[in-house]
Amino acid sequence: MKLRTVLLVVAALLSGGATQQQTIKIAMIAKSSTNPVFLAARTGAEAAAKELSQKLGVNIIIDWRTPPTEDGQVQAQRIAQAVNEGADAILISCSDAGKVTGAINDAVARGVAVMTFDSDAPQSKRFAYYGVDDVEVGQQVMHELATQLGFKGKVAILAGNQNAPNLRKRAEGVKKEAAKYQPSTPDLAAKNPGIQIVGTFYHAETPQDGAAEVLRVMNAYPDINGWAMVGAWPLFTKTLLTDLDPNKVKVVAVDALPAELPYVQKGIAPVLLAQPTYKWGYVSVEKIVDKLHFKKDVPAINKMELVRVTKENLGAWARQLKDWGFTDVPDEYLKLP
Amino acid sequence: MNKTLRSLFNAQQSGLILVILLLGTILTIFAGSHVDRLTGHTVNNFLNSHTLMQTATDASFFAIMAIGATLVIISGGVDLSVGSTYALAGVTMAMVLRDSTWSSPATVATGLTLSLGIGLACGLINGAMVVGLRVHPFIITLGTMWVFRGIAFVSSKAESILVPTALTDVVKAQFGGSSALYPVPMLVMLAMTALGAMYLTKMVPGRHIYAVGGNVEASRYSGLRIGRILIGVYALSGLAAGIAAFVGTSYYGSASCADATGYELYVIASAVVGGASLSGGKCSAISAMLGAILIVLIRQSIRTLHFDTNYESIIIGCAIIIAVVLDQLSARLTTQRLTNAK
Repeated sequence: MKLRTVLLVVAALLSGGATQQQTIKIAMIAKSSTNPVFLAARTGAEAAAKELSQKLGVNIIIDWRTPPTEDGQVQAQRIAQAVNEGADAILISCSDAGKVTGAINDAVARGVAVMTFDSDAPQSKRFAYYGVDDVEVGQQVMHELATQLGFKGKVAILAGNQNAPNLRKRAEGVKKEAAKYQPSTPDLAAKNPGIQIVGTFYHAETPQDGAAEVLRVMNAYPDINGWAMVGAWPLFTKTLLTDLDPNKVKVVAVDALPAELPYVQKGIAPVLLAQPTYKWGYVSVEKIVDKLHFKKDVPAINKMELVRVTKENLGAWARQLKDWGFTDVPDEYLKLP
Repeated sequence: MNKTLRSLFNAQQSGLILVILLLGTILTIFAGSHVDRLTGHTVNNFLNSHTLMQTATDASFFAIMAIGATLVIISGGVDLSVGSTYALAGVTMAMVLRDSTWSSPATVATGLTLSLGIGLACGLINGAMVVGLRVHPFIITLGTMWVFRGIAFVSSKAESILVPTALTDVVKAQFGGSSALYPVPMLVMLAMTALGAMYLTKMVPGRHIYAVGGNVEASRYSGLRIGRILIGVYALSGLAAGIAAFVGTSYYGSASCADATGYELYVIASAVVGGASLSGGKCSAISAMLGAILIVLIRQSIRTLHFDTNYESIIIGCAIIIAVVLDQLSARLTTQRLTNAK
């Protein structure tokens, strides 16, 4: 009897092995594993994979292959490695579109679906992109900042990594919008100088490097009234909470992660334009499953909308971040109405 | 036959080859497998032509630079500027060729000349400053590391510049092989290693480098022109970085001032893992290539065995220390054995 039971169990196990569940292995390659926005994207991708696996009876695996620091060449290598190891799809935020385009095209030629998020490689054969329109984001940042400054003042642009095409586009957008607030004639300029851009400043995309760059620029240009930050790297530190005077300098930045919320509360950053970075992973995985499992046509460009975070919706936003898996949201913000 | 085998296994590189083979075997056993989407065959995740070629390609950019940097290390110096030289050579080539309407052969010839020329010029500047200013090469090349990358940054306005497809077509030539198998970087690496090995072991200027690195004063009293030899090794190091830039930039299809950031450390690590002594007089081109392959293989294994990639730098750092300690231990044991034999 015992032997029969054992044989039945073995047979059941073997039959289970024979009727294997469909697996979709998605290699996820963000720009840098030390940047918290990409960790949120990973959380979103894993949540979508878990939910869709249960719902569809398909085993969806997220294979995290993000390099520790930004390097387009390393990303290209990781695309090739993922393909060689049997990935079904690749989800990538491109550090350098030129560097990864060849590797993306090779992956597609070998039957692997490639989707980009956050930073696109538009010349490649990727089937879809999910993210914001970067020029529009830059324009929105400048518009918010100009409104805060009463449409006059000296503004610096903090632009992160100079090689990231999406950040370059955002900086372009900031300048494009600022041009709207500059007087057209010298006479008008004498009355109201409007918005003047003192410069665009690049730095390694780490919080400390970002904060150090802001302080260096503030020392060089003490009359700066506003910072248009196309990414919010320095706001991940506490340095500028004490080193910037909210009565003299205003910041508008892209992203609104837990560490940045005190800047909103204190009035240094009266507006943060949050990218729901969790959705980079969540929505992109949905799109990949639409393409691979449901064989649906996915639009090439899938636009993500920004969320405007101010003192008024700080509590709601903090709770949203907590729901998305952020564990470092301070309790004081969760309690806000 | 026995003599050949003994000489093979007595060679400096035999230990590295054994470690590479051992790691390769471990990866083959534990890598798992997947069904190839195009052929429908089950293939090992590591032991397949694409992964092996990819590993060799990834290693080739470091290895080509490491062969040049090894000459500097053998001479008792160090070249921290190889990554920046790579970036400057690649960016210059891409900027000049960006709007070119030349024929493919002319484009490739111009690209090669520019890349090698810039690499050589950077190397000559390093060598001339090390010899002329009598400042430690660590300081000089630390300075030029920033200067070269800064020039690349300013001149390219920080853009990522696409290179003409003629260059990519050459470096990604398939020679009738299967799709996405590009052997050119690996072939360049092997050719460079062969040339480097021949230069160091069979040619008088190559032997002079060992002499200078082993004992600079003795070399001076022997009549060697130390300054000329040192300028030569830095020039060759720059030239190797220029070759790596041509291959790497053409392979990936674009150049930017941030290319090869931090690669100088991988290049030095490749030479050190290959048995180079930072006090000079020791190492070979083959060892440097094997060192580069081993480092890339360790990186590959972290992914193939599904280790957390956040531990990559810890693992590589430990591997470098272990490799150097084992090498020193082996050297000490050999010296002890020879002493006992006497």
